Amino acid sequence: MDQEFMAQVKMDAVEKSKAPDRGTAAMQLKNVAVSFHGRTAVRNCTFDISKNRVTSLIGPSGSGKTTLLRALNRLHDLTPGAKVTGQILLEGEDIYRGDITVTELRSRVGMVFQRPNPFPTMSIYDNAVSGLRFNGIKKKSILDEAAETSLRSAALWDSVQSRLKVAASNLSGGEQQRLCIARALAMDPEVLLMDEPTSALDPIATLRIEELMTTLKQRVTVVIVTHNMQQAARISDDCAFLLMGEDRAGELIEFDTTEKIFNNPIDPRTLDYTLGRFG
Amino acid sequence: MTERATGDGTEVSDVIPLDLQPHDELVGEFNSPTSSRTWYHYLLIAASIVFAAVSVGFVATILWSSLPIWAHHSGTLLGGKGWQSPTGPFGGLAMIAGTLETSIIALAIAVVIGLGTSISIVFLIPRRFRNIVATLVELLAAVPSIVYGLWGFLVLAPWMLNTVNPWLNKWPFAKEIFGNPGQQFGTSLLLASIVLAVMILPTFVAISREVITVVPQDLIEASLSLGATRWQVIREVVLPTAKVGLFGATFLALARATGETVAVALVAGGVANAQFHLLYPGTSIAAWIATQFGEAQGNEIAALMALGVLLMVLNFGLSLISRWLVNRQRRILAVV
Amino acid sequence: MSDIIELQHPQQVGHEMRAEIRRISERGRGRRQLRSRIMVALCSVALAITSVPLLLLLYQLFQRGLPVVLHPSFYTQLPQTPSLVAPNATGGVSNAILGSLVLSVYAAVMAIPVGVMVGVYLAESDSKLAAMLRIISQTMAGAPSILMGLFAFSFVVRALHVGYTALAGSFALAVLMLPVIVISSEIAVRGVPNTLREAGLALGAKPHKVSMRIVLPAAVTGIVTGIILAISRAIGETAPVLLVIGGGYINSWKPLDPVSALPLSIYENAKSQWPSLRTQVWGIALVLVVFVFVLSLSARIWASRKQQAR
Repeated sequence: MDQEFMAQVKMDAVEKSKAPDRGTAAMQLKNVAVSFHGRTAVRNCTFDISKNRVTSLIGPSGSGKTTLLRALNRLHDLTPGAKVTGQILLEGEDIYRGDITVTELRSRVGMVFQRPNPFPTMSIYDNAVSGLRFNGIKKKSILDEAAETSLRSAALWDSVQSRLKVAASNLSGGEQQRLCIARALAMDPEVLLMDEPTSALDPIATLRIEELMTTLKQRVTVVIVTHNMQQAARISDDCAFLLMGEDRAGELIEFDTTEKIFNNPIDPRTLDYTLGRFG
Repeated sequence: MTERATGDGTEVSDVIPLDLQPHDELVGEFNSPTSSRTWYHYLLIAASIVFAAVSVGFVATILWSSLPIWAHHSGTLLGGKGWQSPTGPFGGLAMIAGTLETSIIALAIAVVIGLGTSISIVFLIPRRFRNIVATLVELLAAVPSIVYGLWGFLVLAPWMLNTVNPWLNKWPFAKEIFGNPGQQFGTSLLLASIVLAVMILPTFVAISREVITVVPQDLIEASLSLGATRWQVIREVVLPTAKVGLFGATFLALARATGETVAVALVAGGVANAQFHLLYPGTSIAAWIATQFGEAQGNEIAALMALGVLLMVLNFGLSLISRWLVNRQRRILAVV
Repeated sequence: MSDIIELQHPQQVGHEMRAEIRRISERGRGRRQLRSRIMVALCSVALAITSVPLLLLLYQLFQRGLPVVLHPSFYTQLPQTPSLVAPNATGGVSNAILGSLVLSVYAAVMAIPVGVMVGVYLAESDSKLAAMLRIISQTMAGAPSILMGLFAFSFVVRALHVGYTALAGSFALAVLMLPVIVISSEIAVRGVPNTLREAGLALGAKPHKVSMRIVLPAAVTGIVTGIILAISRAIGETAPVLLVIGGGYINSWKPLDPVSALPLSIYENAKSQWPSLRTQVWGIALVLVVFVFVLSLSARIWASRKQQAR
């Protein structure tokens, strides 16, 4: 890893050390493990996701970052043979408890995916309000306002306001991804999960999304999976480092503020990884 | 289609492939392996010309054989009611009406039930059973239609006669819709529609399952992440995305139903009687050709050929529409 | 950076509206869940409705057909017409079994070379002819099979004065198989990765050599699978052979003899007045279905094993 980068990391870290303490937790993970057909994919995950901060999950491929992220809004419910153990609390409530309505949970914990995936049959406007429609909101005045605010929040409003009725597939990749963010924001979620949201985008579009994320945290807690350590260092406040164990199951190695993870980690493997010695 | 153009195309299906995947663009230079003038090139061209000639001959021969009828009796064939062997007149109204009635009723049944079935197979059945069920459905699509006809004729027809017909006639307006043939007929237009529906179900399910399966998983996950219920995912995201391809599957099933011959010949009753009471026997274009051809002479053969031309026009029209729709679906998926 | 994008302060809809959104969404949640459950249940019902007649058909086919096919004479004897003296003398269907095999072999011989070559041509050419042939093959593949019978009748039986023969029947089946083979061969050849072609070209091989020595061997699994499926489709077709093969009551493999075929025997026996023939017909149907399933399943298994071997 080059010196320039390390200097940048240090600078970021200094800035972040001035930030207030982590504050209250939006989500708490207690000894979370995910297994598929009895084979553990990720385990030993215990950490808090703090409100209005960006938490990044980093680690090499196969370390279970995405698997863990998808457990946070119960997307594994779909996968046959998937089992989530341990506790995941949202505002103190276990999201895997029997009486939790999964549709309600998912409208509180939104998600943005690797590949921009706006609904191809819907217009930009319909995409932006699709979540509200799924949740039974039909009133035009509400939909209109929500569409505008969410598109504004995703920094997309100015470029699309004149063509809201155009099919979403006409947008560029970066715009599509911002539309997906807007779509998730329209639900006014408490937590926004992002699964490598920039991996399919070009550098400029990536930059825009990153800028967006740093402003977004004022209104929503962000959890992001990323492959890109510079990105994690640039945008996240807290950082969880996962690594594949000997039995090929991922586990949490270290969780701390991004500053500590990148400058002064406790575990030597974390240092090796952040310095780019493997992975 | 049930055969994806991915890999080496070895995924197997008994349903004629619809080819939903976007085609790989071939390497520029390779676009013209045949442009180098070798014997190999001429061999391929020759085979293609043979194929084209056979296809053109196919259409031309049937058309030519039917010319005597088109020249002098086209009005009778298209609108006449009676069919008098061996001299004529040869009226085709009963067959045309029978074809449309049976295949449209069959299609309505098959599409509603088939769509539900495909959705169940793709989204509700546990993954380990899914392939078994899908394979079974495709095997059933491969069962020869004569076997469906046999089953309809020897099993369903007596059951219709003794159980279903009397029960149907208890309802109000039944006489107007179904007619009341009493204990006279087991074979009827209704039975033909039911047998056709059972027959085209596997075909429709096989294709629509494929169309639904290729809806990208991340769209489904995205809608779930927005708090959509299972049905909302299907109704608002999966079906609209697959819509055009599903219409393609529908037209393909309709094309198959209109062209079905021996099954209808066995269960429709084989009577050239233009009427709309579904419990009375009738016939279809294809079935009529099959049942009459053995005894036909001279002008009657020409008349049957003319019915064949009608069937061809109907079928080609339907498959053109279906292919156009499938192409559109492919473009939609390419955008996703 | 800031010249690239004007970031606005993240916005939120007003408090009142947020409350209303929550309220509406909360109020309808139960109803939406219920609706989802009902519709999903209805889909399962559709699956059940689909399965019942199809499974019933298979069950009755085996239940009624098995006793018939267990008699060796069913395979060895020629059919007999029952009479009042011997109402159960049905004989066997050796002529139909032989006829079906003969018809498919002749049809395959006619259709395979042309079909595969056209498929290869379509996969590797962008010419106008190719585009036209593609449309033709798609359209012909869906054409009603009775029309192949009419074609064979007009062309082979009448115009060529060949008469009601195995040749006429296999011609009709060949026309039926051709487009299926063309389409599946095209897909198989297109499925061969371009990297293989490029590698061959990069080594300096002539395009037609690449096509023959590299692409065809790589695509052979898909091509053979398509051929087997085309045969399994042709062997079950009744309508085309009904018009032209003559329904011969002899065992013959000669192209210019009239022959019978399994589907044709089913069609004729089903309509018979004799209960004994209507019993026998289930056996014929079972044999036909077993033929088709064996062909279809072996194509599947072979293809998937080949695929795994890669």
